[in-house]
Amino acid sequence: MADVDIVIEICGSAGDGTISSGEILSRFMSSQGFEIMSFDSYPSEIRGFGKCVAHSRISNKKVLSPGKYTDILIALNNAHAISQLHTLRETGIVIFDNKPPNYLEEDQSIAGWIEPGMISYGIPLLNLSQKASGSARGRNMVALGALAAIFGIDGEQMKSAIHARYAKKNKVVIDSNINSFAEGFTWAQQHVTKVDSYTFGHSKPKPSKEKKAIINGNQAVAQAAIDSGLHLYAGYPITPATKIMEIVSRELPKKGGVMVQTEDEISAIGHVIGAGYAGKRAMTATSGPGFCLMSELANLAVMAEVPAVLVNSQRGGPSTGLPTRNEQSDLNIALFGGSGDSPRIVLAPTSVNECYTCTTLAFYLAEKYQTLVIILLDFFLSNSIRNITTPVPPKANQLNSNVAPTKTALKDYKRYKLTKNGISPRAIPGTPGGMCISTGLEHSEHGHPRYDRNTHPAMTEKRFNKIQGALSEAPKPRWVGPKKNVDIGVIAWGSTAGSAHEAVLNARKEGINVAFMSTVILSPFPVKEIKKFSEACSRILVPELNYTGQFANVLSPHLSRSIERLNMVTGLPISAEDILEKIRDMAR
Amino acid sequence: MKEKDFYFNKEQGHARAIKIIKEVRFSEDSRDYGYMAENVPCQDGCPAITNIPGYIRCISEERFGRSYELNRMYNIFPGVLGRICSRPCEKRCRHGEADLGEPVNICHLKRSAADLKSSWHRIKENLYAPTGYKIAVVGAGPAGLASAHELATLGHKVTVFEAMEQPGGMLMHGIPEFRLPRDILDLEIKNILRLGVDLELGVEIGKRTSLKSLLKDYDAVITATGCMNAFSANLPGEDLDGVYSGLDFMMRVNNGERPKVGKEVAVIGGGFTAIDCSRMAIRLGASKVSVNLRRTEENMRIDEHEKNEAKFEKIRIYGLVRPVRITGKNGRVKSMTMERTRLIYTPEPPFRKAVPIENSEFTIPVDSVIIAIGQYPETGFIDTKIKLDGHRIWTSSDSYRTSVKKLYAAGDCVTGATDVINAVANGRQAAQEVDEFLIRRKRKKRIVRFEASAPSDRKRSDDFIPQVKLPVLDRNSRFKKITNEVELGYDHESAFKEAKRCYLCNLKFEIDVDRCIYCSACIDVAPRDCIKLIRDVEVKKDGSYGDYEETTNWRNVVAIAIDNKRCIRCGKCVEACPMDCISVTKVELIEQDLEA
Amino acid sequence: MPKKDHYVIIGNGPAGNSAADAFRANDKDARVTIISDEAFSFFYRHKLPQFVAGNIGEDDLKVRPYSVYKEQNIRLRLGQCVDRIDPEEKILYLRHMEKVGYTKLVIATGGSPRILPSLTSFEKHLRFMTGYNNAIKLMPEIQKAKTITILGGDLISFELVKALRTMKKKIFFIFYSKCFWPVELTGNMSAKICANMKKKNIEAYADDTVETLTEKGNLYTLKTASGRTFKSDLVCCFLGLVPNIGYIIGSGIDTERGVLVNEFMQTNYKDIYACGDCAQIYDPKLKDYWISIGWSNAGLQGKIAAMNLLGSSKVVKPLPKSIRDVVGIKIQTSWWDHF
Repeated sequence: MADVDIVIEICGSAGDGTISSGEILSRFMSSQGFEIMSFDSYPSEIRGFGKCVAHSRISNKKVLSPGKYTDILIALNNAHAISQLHTLRETGIVIFDNKPPNYLEEDQSIAGWIEPGMISYGIPLLNLSQKASGSARGRNMVALGALAAIFGIDGEQMKSAIHARYAKKNKVVIDSNINSFAEGFTWAQQHVTKVDSYTFGHSKPKPSKEKKAIINGNQAVAQAAIDSGLHLYAGYPITPATKIMEIVSRELPKKGGVMVQTEDEISAIGHVIGAGYAGKRAMTATSGPGFCLMSELANLAVMAEVPAVLVNSQRGGPSTGLPTRNEQSDLNIALFGGSGDSPRIVLAPTSVNECYTCTTLAFYLAEKYQTLVIILLDFFLSNSIRNITTPVPPKANQLNSNVAPTKTALKDYKRYKLTKNGISPRAIPGTPGGMCISTGLEHSEHGHPRYDRNTHPAMTEKRFNKIQGALSEAPKPRWVGPKKNVDIGVIAWGSTAGSAHEAVLNARKEGINVAFMSTVILSPFPVKEIKKFSEACSRILVPELNYTGQFANVLSPHLSRSIERLNMVTGLPISAEDILEKIRDMAR
Repeated sequence: MKEKDFYFNKEQGHARAIKIIKEVRFSEDSRDYGYMAENVPCQDGCPAITNIPGYIRCISEERFGRSYELNRMYNIFPGVLGRICSRPCEKRCRHGEADLGEPVNICHLKRSAADLKSSWHRIKENLYAPTGYKIAVVGAGPAGLASAHELATLGHKVTVFEAMEQPGGMLMHGIPEFRLPRDILDLEIKNILRLGVDLELGVEIGKRTSLKSLLKDYDAVITATGCMNAFSANLPGEDLDGVYSGLDFMMRVNNGERPKVGKEVAVIGGGFTAIDCSRMAIRLGASKVSVNLRRTEENMRIDEHEKNEAKFEKIRIYGLVRPVRITGKNGRVKSMTMERTRLIYTPEPPFRKAVPIENSEFTIPVDSVIIAIGQYPETGFIDTKIKLDGHRIWTSSDSYRTSVKKLYAAGDCVTGATDVINAVANGRQAAQEVDEFLIRRKRKKRIVRFEASAPSDRKRSDDFIPQVKLPVLDRNSRFKKITNEVELGYDHESAFKEAKRCYLCNLKFEIDVDRCIYCSACIDVAPRDCIKLIRDVEVKKDGSYGDYEETTNWRNVVAIAIDNKRCIRCGKCVEACPMDCISVTKVELIEQDLEA
Repeated sequence: MPKKDHYVIIGNGPAGNSAADAFRANDKDARVTIISDEAFSFFYRHKLPQFVAGNIGEDDLKVRPYSVYKEQNIRLRLGQCVDRIDPEEKILYLRHMEKVGYTKLVIATGGSPRILPSLTSFEKHLRFMTGYNNAIKLMPEIQKAKTITILGGDLISFELVKALRTMKKKIFFIFYSKCFWPVELTGNMSAKICANMKKKNIEAYADDTVETLTEKGNLYTLKTASGRTFKSDLVCCFLGLVPNIGYIIGSGIDTERGVLVNEFMQTNYKDIYACGDCAQIYDPKLKDYWISIGWSNAGLQGKIAAMNLLGSSKVVKPLPKSIRDVVGIKIQTSWWDHF
């Protein structure tokens, strides 16, 4: 079986069906057993002519990053695709519409920009689409058909995948998509002479024995929340977290749960805290701007020690910023965004798999440690489709992690009892004898407001101490590479970790003495492990997608050493190539 | 009256049901003629102004008889011209415009209407009351017969004089049978004669009777004597055995002779006759036939079909040569000497002229030479003083009137050798002019007819149907018998398929600017760039609209307009329009009876 | 700012490349563009058989690397086909629906496979090897085929036979000696060639012609005029080249067999020149029009065309008829000795 590692980009204008065809491709190729790493970028305006790119790396080996260079570019729009050509490999392939309705002026066609060595396959996308479906809307499917025919993808199976994708639509939609695909497939079979060597044909992976799920980060989070016994979801839609709400709204009622679309984000977190107070598992998901609104009320969960799970899928920039771009710049506000000394647990999954496990863990931790748990996703992780081993649903003991008071304790119930580990047994409202006061004011062990000189220090310490326990229950930071005498240590978090991991593996192949560490739990901070790693490395590099190096800033006081940084704010996910280049630079 | 009123009052619902919803308007506005010429180019290209979209539409509805009659209104030889027309319409067909594929096979569709109509097909003639006038037509070729037919329908008594023993002129004597089976021709001639046209065969004017006496005996005379003299190439050796003029060669073959051609035949000239002669020479046993052109293949006036058939029959076409002399032995042709030419530009059409290159002579062996470089009219029979235009009969401009009173002329004897469709159109128009002269008023007129129409059921996918090739005989069967027709004609299915390709340019899609709300829903569903945001429109000399000036800036948009030159009549815009402001009108240029 | 001159060359063969080099050498600022429908570099045509046989790689085929064009600032538009020329508006219409304007144009599109009229009816079963596009198509088929029939005869076909012998393929050769390209064979040359081939275990037949060719399940059955029947997996046709001018006909540029040019390589438009295997020139000594054939001749003509377009007036001289230069091999009476 030959190695296959091909990056396909579909590039078009809003309305061309770029993203949906990319999704079909990624899902289908995953279902064929390929490893997938996909990434979409699209304009934030709902209607218009902005550039959409569906990027998908398809390999029969494990892939960790989306891939910087494109092997196959499908151009549904000339102008946009021309601007995308710079990422095409020197021997890359372009599939384009060679029969637009009018002659294009000089240099307006992507075909004219093909560099020597690149290969272009002209497919009359528009004509074939009109032939098959009577409209221009099937161009994306025609292109997929041609792609399948040229690169050895099973057309019949892909047809059924398209069928499944549109199964809920009416027959006309299904037919026109299927017909367009078939038209593109047969046309390419008959008319295209293949002159490149890219193919999926000979390298279909063996079907895995494990059950696989083809999902993106948002789906993983939503599924995990439901599997974890979610009772209430309250939220206000915002890209890129809306999808979580969509899925929950569809699936949660079936399990007897409730989804509330609130009037704003403040209300949403209010709902969640209310449900948490009542003893039910609850969650909200938002992005940066919504997170800002929530941050005040989120402190109530910390102060009143109420379980709450808050997902923040990060996007770019302050304010409305870059709604459809990727960034890791909400780390500061997640860690330090509370007023007062406001400890919270922060988890940042590095892969779609971890999106699931982090979410189940988040519910567990929130309930056990009676506090706010923030899950930091980002645009890339939220939308990136992967082929993962079907996650194992949480076990019964994880589904109920509340530390309940003993009968004796209920005789004189102290809701905020100062215990050794900081966790005060929590009586769910309605528990006989468990009546108590919960408040956002600083309070005594019984919950009564109290501002004396001893209470606040004791309670603050208790709140900080109790979450330390989470460190031992969260996954340990991952250490890849030698355990000592490392030249360069790369520490990464969130979605950047995958690219960094791949870059380190490749750098090691090149003979650079480099090691890699990533951590899922960011607060409380796994100081011990990271310190150990730091000591083994003579230099430390932190690549991350924000301008100031927010994670490096968190790291450096712990490590008390200078940290080298790779900060990018292009709005695109960081690629392994970018990091590898930096490593090479450092090693030079 | 009262009773009627009562009836309608009582049966109001019924009255509404039978209300005629068909609204028809007629126009003689120059702008509408301009619109037709611009937007229905095939009809504009046809000398006979045949309603081409109309008859193709009938074929796609499988009404072959109606399609035949639509043709016959303007051209009394649909079956004949469906085979041998020079197809000026196809050169103008929208489907043949750059990047839109190949033109609709209009000619072969015409033939399919003739071939596939029912065998007991009813012929329709719009007969006028007898007028009592007597008219003589000289020449029973396409122009003569067309004028005879038209005159007969107009109520005149017509006698056609023909010098040959058979009617049909060049159709009968010039065109080879493998292109035009004679039973088709006979049938269509007979249908003309059924109107009571007298046909006097074997009567050469100037011998048994004279033009002078015809002018005396008849109320008017039309001469349509064609071009029956072949130009000579003025070559030394042209009188040798084995040197034929193209016309003479074809006439002899068509009359049953089999002239000896030998193995190597050189044809000189590049018109229809030259190609016919070369193909006939192959059938007469020649093995090496060449067609020799002074200019180049791309400058030949014949259409690609004929060229390709000739090449398929292994005829070689040589360009840039010119015969210098023919040499023989014992009175029989032996070889031909030619010289090379080069092309030079001329400011007048045809823009290229071949001039000989000095000192470039070469000689090829030949067994016979056929010179087919053109024909000119015979005017020797005219025994009155008449104005000529070179070899041809002079007629006053835009008219068929000659310098002699009561004498009219039509067809090749006026225009020089052209093609059959021109002759047919000329003959008919000359007849109408004679009628106007005798009756003293116009009785028929071309007029633009508007009728509200449903959007067509054309689909975008119809545009991608490739041109349906006409089946032809394989090479061996062609040569088994000289008369075997090469082209086989469409069957029902392929005629139907080819007809679907027609863009139906006679349907006009129009947006009512006053009701349009500029939602651009139509542009979203447009199959191609057929609906445009425009800032201005060109106004032509005749007042009709020309090209649109497009804009992408909404500030400058004065209207959303449908470009009927790009429209494929799929009706998607009509479906999409929320304001119902897109109208569909069938626009046809027809001949209207002014008596009605 | 006045627009820069745009010299466009259609065709990426020896004529096109030497024209491009001449343009660049004499005008540092102008835009120079080569358009070719082959998505491959300027290559040695005579090496195609070895390439198809898999004996040499793509790099061995290339005359020069792409980097040369970058350095020279010559834009290569490869894999792009010119559909039509509008000489009045000076616009080229490319098949992928792009308009390209030019100020001066050189047509150097070379030849396309020659097919005898008797072969046209089964053209779809024939394989050719006149350029990279059809060679790359042929490559996997040749690898798969066990028996191969070769029709016609030209120098490339002999090269192919040589290559196929190293691949141990069974070869039938139907030798159209009368149509040999590019020169006529004289005397007993064809008999000698056949005899030599037979010695090398190649079934060669001179002066036979194909009557019918039918395909069934990828097996081609071929019947000849003299009644022979051949069955093979592949039928390749080698009858040389005819000028590739299909896209020019009807544009207003005069053509006959090729693009008609005068002795300065100029067409009937003053800004359009043609050179190489597609140009047709009258030669007073031959008393005939002739079409250049071969590599160095094409290169020479390309240079002359470019120089004349830039203002000089060089006259092209035909090489002597008896010795024509074909892909770098001087044709003389001994050239088939290696068989």
